[in-house]
Amino acid sequence: MSLTVVNPLDERPLPEGSAPPRLASVGGARIALLDISKGGGEVFLDRVDALLRERYGVSEVLRFRKPTFAKPAPEAVLTDIREAQPHAVIEALAD
Amino acid sequence: MLSNGVVAPPVPGQPLSGPSLLAFFKADCPACHLALRYLDSLSRSLGSGDHVVAVSQDEIAPTDKLMRSLGADLPLRFDRDLAASAGFGLEAVPTLFLLDRSGRVLASSQGFDKADLNRLGGDLAKLLDVPDPELARTGDGNPDFQPGCVSRHLEPESDAAAAEIPDLYSRRAGRASRIDLPTEADAEEWCYESGYADPLPVVPPTVERVERMLAESGLNPDEVVAHVPPNFGAASAEKIAANAVMAGCRPEYMRVLVPAVRALCDERLDIHGVQGTTHFAAPLAIVNGPVRLELGFACGSNVFSNAARANSTIGRALQLILRNLGGAAPGRIDMSTMGNPGRFSFVIGENEEVSPWGPLAEDFGIDAGRNAVTFFCAEPPRPVSEHKAREPKVLLRAICPVLANLWSHRVCKRSEAVLVIGPEHAATLDRGGFTKRDVVEFLFENTGVPVSEYDGDGGEGTHEAGFYDECVIRGVRCYRKFRRPESIRVMVAGGPAGKFSAVLGSWATGPRGSQMVSYQFD
Repeated sequence: MSLTVVNPLDERPLPEGSAPPRLASVGGARIALLDISKGGGEVFLDRVDALLRERYGVSEVLRFRKPTFAKPAPEAVLTDIREAQPHAVIEALAD
Repeated sequence: MLSNGVVAPPVPGQPLSGPSLLAFFKADCPACHLALRYLDSLSRSLGSGDHVVAVSQDEIAPTDKLMRSLGADLPLRFDRDLAASAGFGLEAVPTLFLLDRSGRVLASSQGFDKADLNRLGGDLAKLLDVPDPELARTGDGNPDFQPGCVSRHLEPESDAAAAEIPDLYSRRAGRASRIDLPTEADAEEWCYESGYADPLPVVPPTVERVERMLAESGLNPDEVVAHVPPNFGAASAEKIAANAVMAGCRPEYMRVLVPAVRALCDERLDIHGVQGTTHFAAPLAIVNGPVRLELGFACGSNVFSNAARANSTIGRALQLILRNLGGAAPGRIDMSTMGNPGRFSFVIGENEEVSPWGPLAEDFGIDAGRNAVTFFCAEPPRPVSEHKAREPKVLLRAICPVLANLWSHRVCKRSEAVLVIGPEHAATLDRGGFTKRDVVEFLFENTGVPVSEYDGDGGEGTHEAGFYDECVIRGVRCYRKFRRPESIRVMVAGGPAGKFSAVLGSWATGPRGSQMVSYQFD
């Protein structure tokens, strides 16, 4: 005899975010770096910041910071990033 | 997808010659990678003739890169405009079609499935009159089944379309779908293969069982109790019931499980962060009140282990809900470096009957005698043994160094702790006249890390030393381990014999991390 079961999973199709189109070149671009505030993150990002300017000719590096790595970025941080209108954002993950 | 017996539309490039196994794939699909490995060895074993043909939904460059990385040398076709993908009615990749000499579909398979691969490979060998290649064995290191990815032609066209924002405030959800299992299916195996379970067997959530569970909850099936991070899947009463059945709960456990799901998803607990952390943390549920005795919760011997159905199955149901509705399964969102055995189940009852003090939930404003479930995102328990102490201070001094080591020895003012005092230790403290407040204050005052440990080596916790509070403990200059006395919570649990207690450390704490929450229920 066939059994009928109740689906225990989340049945919504998960929205798939897709990567934005790559910039053809970062030369002259305005790049935002989001520090998720893990220990040592600023050391790493300072170096990325310098390399973007020196090696790749990025015109401006904008720095943003989440208040805690333990929670999603608050809307205010996202709004700040949007308003700065960078050409690209690098979200620096941890670990 | 094309049905068996239908003549397939043309494939890109030259017409196929003779019977063929056609495999549609895309380069970024992990299930396709698995399938291509086996198809490549099938192709090699069949020798000359293009009888296994892989159809890429991507351009030449990413396809070639993939083939090189797999070491595969399959005959390739490119479905550049995705017309063939649409014509074959693909929903997902990989999808395989076995075509006869006239291009008629004999069989098909979607996703990576070893049984299907063997069947299709065997059928192709028969058509070509060569021996069965015995393609994919169970237990060869690859999974028997892995669902595929959506076919490229069905992907939403987007220039970085923003992901849909989940509705976190809906109080009603759609009803759970009903699935008729194939007659020949082993129900437990089917649940496992459908991704319903942790690695242990589950009780199949049949309609009858779920309805019995729901009836006990008194809720409408579509009533949403919480939205479970990080995917914010709706934990409707029906979905909670289905997961409770799978975990082995009795229907009357819904009385605890429903408020527990609500508490678990309280934003203050930040289960969102805990689900994705590399740390050891797992949500520990602590039960207080008469419900412990009514439902048979373990509060005594083996309180942290496999002593009682209520603890084990309610804890497991919570974990299945986090996984099935929140989306945090190991290797997907849950990337804990070491994990935590509490990820199977982590529920304890307080041994209120032998405790000299009020219950833990009282710390959170819930009166003694009321039912409550309190959550603390915890490391696994660290043991304390002290069999000689006859005075409270001697006993507590054995606990201080364990507390001092939480998170990382030299990190201060960040951790919180739950101290689970064993009944014999509780009796020693009570005989010495120590109230719970006295215990907490003594531990706070006497737990520190010697300043001499901070010798400029740059280790974890040393950079923030300027913010720590200095004190003197037994003549030694120390930094105080805890921010405040309330960082240490004390409760009583465990069996009657053995002078043991347990210390559980926290994850990130405070408003920027996880805060303990306690929910009262009837």
